[in-house]
Amino acid sequence: MTLSRRGFLNAAAVGATGTFAADMTRLDTLRHSAWADEVKTQGKRVILLWLAGGASQLETFDPKPGRPTGGPYRAIPTSATGVHISELLPKMAARIQQTTAIVRSLNTKNADHGGGAVIMETGRIKDPGIEYPDLGAVCAKELGRLDSAVPDYVSMYTSTEGRRKGGSGFLGSRYAPMFLSESMQPENIRRLESISDLDHQDRLALRDLLAKKFTQNRHSDSLGSHTQAYQRVRGLMASEKLFDIEQEPAEMRAKYGPTQFGQQCLIARRLVEAGVPFVKVARAWWDSHGENFETHRELCADLDHSMSVLLDDLKDRGLLEHTLVLTFGEFGRTPGINSSLGRDHFAAAWSATLSGCGVRGGACYGKTDEDGHKVADGEVGAGDLFATILTALGIDPNKEYHVGARPVPLSDFGSKPIKDVLV
Amino acid sequence: MRWILRINFAALWLLTIAVASNGAELPSADLPIEQVIDQFVQQRLDAEKVAAAPQADDANLLRRLMLDVAGRIPTSEEAKGFVANGSAAKRVELVDRLLASPDFVWHQRNEFDRMLLPNKPNDGDFRKYLLWAVKENRSWEAMFRDMLVGDEADENRKHALTFIKSRARDLDDMLNDTAIVFFGVNVTCAKCHDHPLTPDWKQHHYFGMASFFSRTYVTKKNLLAERPFGEVKFKSKRKDDTKGEQTAKFEFLTGSIIDEPVVERSADDLKKIEETIKAAMQKDDAPPPEKPAFSPREKLVEVALRSEDNRFFARNFVNRVWDRFFGRGIVHPVDQLHASNAPSHPELLDWLTRDTVAHGYDLKRLIRGIVLSQAYSRSSEWTAGALPPESGLFAVAKVKPLTPRQYALSLLIATHNPTQWPLLDQAEQWATRREQLENASNGWSGQFEMPGENFQVAVDEALLFNNNKRVEDEFLRDSSDRLVGHLKTLSDNQAVIETAIQSICSRPPRDDERTTLDEFLKSRSDRVTAIQQLVWVLLTGPEMRFSF
Repeated sequence: MTLSRRGFLNAAAVGATGTFAADMTRLDTLRHSAWADEVKTQGKRVILLWLAGGASQLETFDPKPGRPTGGPYRAIPTSATGVHISELLPKMAARIQQTTAIVRSLNTKNADHGGGAVIMETGRIKDPGIEYPDLGAVCAKELGRLDSAVPDYVSMYTSTEGRRKGGSGFLGSRYAPMFLSESMQPENIRRLESISDLDHQDRLALRDLLAKKFTQNRHSDSLGSHTQAYQRVRGLMASEKLFDIEQEPAEMRAKYGPTQFGQQCLIARRLVEAGVPFVKVARAWWDSHGENFETHRELCADLDHSMSVLLDDLKDRGLLEHTLVLTFGEFGRTPGINSSLGRDHFAAAWSATLSGCGVRGGACYGKTDEDGHKVADGEVGAGDLFATILTALGIDPNKEYHVGARPVPLSDFGSKPIKDVLV
Repeated sequence: MRWILRINFAALWLLTIAVASNGAELPSADLPIEQVIDQFVQQRLDAEKVAAAPQADDANLLRRLMLDVAGRIPTSEEAKGFVANGSAAKRVELVDRLLASPDFVWHQRNEFDRMLLPNKPNDGDFRKYLLWAVKENRSWEAMFRDMLVGDEADENRKHALTFIKSRARDLDDMLNDTAIVFFGVNVTCAKCHDHPLTPDWKQHHYFGMASFFSRTYVTKKNLLAERPFGEVKFKSKRKDDTKGEQTAKFEFLTGSIIDEPVVERSADDLKKIEETIKAAMQKDDAPPPEKPAFSPREKLVEVALRSEDNRFFARNFVNRVWDRFFGRGIVHPVDQLHASNAPSHPELLDWLTRDTVAHGYDLKRLIRGIVLSQAYSRSSEWTAGALPPESGLFAVAKVKPLTPRQYALSLLIATHNPTQWPLLDQAEQWATRREQLENASNGWSGQFEMPGENFQVAVDEALLFNNNKRVEDEFLRDSSDRLVGHLKTLSDNQAVIETAIQSICSRPPRDDERTTLDEFLKSRSDRVTAIQQLVWVLLTGPEMRFSF
C-alpha cells in the first residue's frame, strides 16, 4: 500500500518539477536580463525597525541638551568621534562607529499619521491615480527569488495602535507581506491534523499533475503565478520553524530578552538568516503627546537593547555586511514641549538610522538648527532616504517600473542617494 | 443562426453611411453588432497574416458565458444540457436567457460595484442602488447623472451619490476617479506639469476638470452640496514656467469651456453664504443648503453627454465593456484614452461607439453583441506557435482571473450536491437560490484579492486552500448537501470521477484524468478521504481559478 502510494507521488512530482523548472527559466531570463545587477543584490536583506507613532529625534539620535527644547536627558558621546546621541541609548552609542549611520536632516513635510506613514512606507506622497508599493514589496521583488521557499516579505505589527499592513500596490499580491498581527505564527502555515503529511504532499503533487495539461498551451503571467503560489506552499510550511524562537538556544533567547520587540527581532534574524529579503518589525506606540519623557525612557530602553543585540548577533553570524537594519517611523516629534510634557507630530527636521550592509558606520549626515526646529544643513526627503537604502542594497534607485504607459522610478523622481552615509 | 453567418464584405461596404474618425467610411448602423466585430477583427488578422485560434468547444463556451454574464459557473445540469442541446440557436437562446436572468442582475451589480467603489466593497446602500439600476436596465448615461448630480429626495437614486460623497473629502479623488471611470483618462500626471507622454493633457486640463468638483462638499447630515462660488488657482511646477498663477476655467477634456454667469454679491451676502455653509458642515440641525443657480457638477454632466463632447464618455463605456469580456480594451490600458495611445481597431471602436450612443447607452445590447461574436468565443489555447500573437489582435481568448465574488460563488456551486439544484425551468426558485448564494459568498469573497492589471496570485491564497479549516469544513464536508456527500454514495470510481469533474470543471473527464484519478482512488484505503482529496485537487486547479 504505502509503496504504491509513494510511487504515485514520485511519478507526479517528477512531472511537476519538470514543467516548473522550464517555467522558471523563462521567467528568470525575462526579468533579470542584466546578470550583473543580480550579483550586486545577491543575498542582501533588510530589517526595518518601524518606530510606530513617531519617535522623538531629541530623545534618540539628535539630542539638544541644555536648550529650551532639549528636555531632561543628557547627550552622551558615541564610539564615533564627535557624534553624540541621547543617554537613553547607551548600548547603541557604543556601536555607532562600527555599524550605524545617522541621518539628522529629514524633512518629510507631512505630520499626519496616515499621510506620514504612506510617505515613509513608499518614499513618496500619495498619488490618487496609482498605488505605490512599499519598501518591503520593492525589496521583495528586487532581492527575492520567484520560486523562493521562504516568504519574501514578513511584517510584524502586534500593537493595535496605528497598525498598518503596508502593501505591494501595483506590484500585485505576489509581493504583499506575510502579515503577523495576532500571533507570531503566520496564518495557514501549519498542516491540519486531519490530513497526514504524506497525503498533504500527495494531493499537491496530484494537483500539479492535473494542472499541467491546462497550463500547457495557455499563456498568462497570472496563470503562472497561480502555479508558483502552489509550488511554494511546502517550502513555506517548512519555514514555520523560523517563527518559533524555542528553536534557539536558551542563551540566545536570554540575550534578546523577554520583551515582545526583542523576541520579534530574534525572529527577524532567523528569517533573514534563512534568506527572507525583507522583515519589518513594528514597535509601538511612540506617539507621546503627553509624558513624552516617560514614554521614551521605556521605549528607548527596549529599542536600545533589542537593536544592539540584533546588530551584534548579525555581525557574529557574518550577516551584517549583507543585512541593512533601518530605524524610522512616520515622522519625528516637535522640539517644542507642550503643556502635558509631550511632544507632538513633527516632520520638518527629524532622524533615521541605517546600519550594516553598504553603510559607512559612524557617519552622521545633516544638521538641525540649535533648537531642532529646522534643518540647517543637508536637507533630504523621504525619496532621498529611499534612494540611499536601495543604493546600499545594490539596487539602482533610478530603475523604472512601468504602470501601463507610465514610468515609475524605484525611488521618487528627482531623489538622490546620500553618498556620505554609504561606503 | 446569425452568429455563424460569414460576412459579405462587398454588401457591407455598399451599406456604409457614416465616416470613422480616421476618415474611412463605417459599415451600416443596421448590421448586427457581432457581425461588425468579427469583420474588423478578421480584417486586422488578415492584414497581419495571423490565423486565429479555433472556436472553443461548447462546454468551454458555456462556462465562459456563465462566468462573464451570470458571474458563476454553471451547475452540472446546465452544463450537460447545453452540450446535449442540438439546436443551432442554442447560443443565442442561452445569451438571451442569461441577460434576462437574476444572475445577470447580481453579477452586473458586482461588476459596477468593483469599478465604481473599488475600495469599499461593502457599501450596502450604494450596492442597493446598483441592484435597482441594473434591474431597471437603467442606461449608463442615466447612472452617470445619478452618481454625479443625483437627487437626495429620490429613494431609489439618492445613494448613487455615494460615488462622489465617498471621495468628497479629497478633490483629487473626485476628479481623478471620475475621469478614470467615466472618461477613460488618467490625468494625474498633469497635476504638476503638462503630461510628459501625451500632448493631449496639459496642466490646464487637470485644473479645468478640478474646477467642476472644487465647490463640492458634504454636509454634517451627509448631504451632497455645492458652494455658489469659488475658483481653482494653479501654478506650473516647472522651473522654466513664466505664466505664474493661473485661474482654472470650467474646461472639459475636449477643450470645451463652460462660462459661469457673473453674479454680483455684496460683502454681506458673501458673509451670509459662508455662514450657511459653515453651519451645514458643522451642525446636524442646520437647514440643507440651497442649490446654487450654477452647479459645476451638473454642467460637467451636461457637457460630457452632449453630442459634440461625448466622445470620451461614449468611447470609454464601449472600451470598458469590451475590456471586461476580452480581458483587454480596444484602447489599452483602459484609462489611457488619448491620441498617443491608438486603439487596436479604430473603426470598430467608432462603429460601436456610434451604435451605443444611438441606442441610449444600452449595456445589455452591447454585451449581447460582444458575446455573440466569434472573436469572443475563440479557444484560450494557443498551439500554433511558441507564443501567442499580441493580445490586441484578439486571436486567442485570454485567461482571466476570477473576481473574488465569481470565485467564491463558483466554489459554492461546485461543492454543492449536484442533484440538489432547482430545475432550470423553475425561475423563481432559482432567483431565491441565487440570492442565498450571493449572501453565502460574502465571507469567502473577502478572502481573495481583487484582480487588477498584471494580477498575481498571492501565496496566502494557496496556503489558505492547503491548510485552512474552513476549506475543509465547507468545501470538503461529506454531509448529504455537499458534493463529497453525494460522491461517497457512488460505488463506481468512474462515476465518482465523472460527477466530480462535471460539477467542478463543467465538462466530462479526459481519458488521462480517468486513468490517473482511478489509480489514485484505488491506492487509497479510506474512500471518503480519497474523495475529499480528489475534490480538493480539482477545486484548487487553475481551471477553477480562471475564466478561460
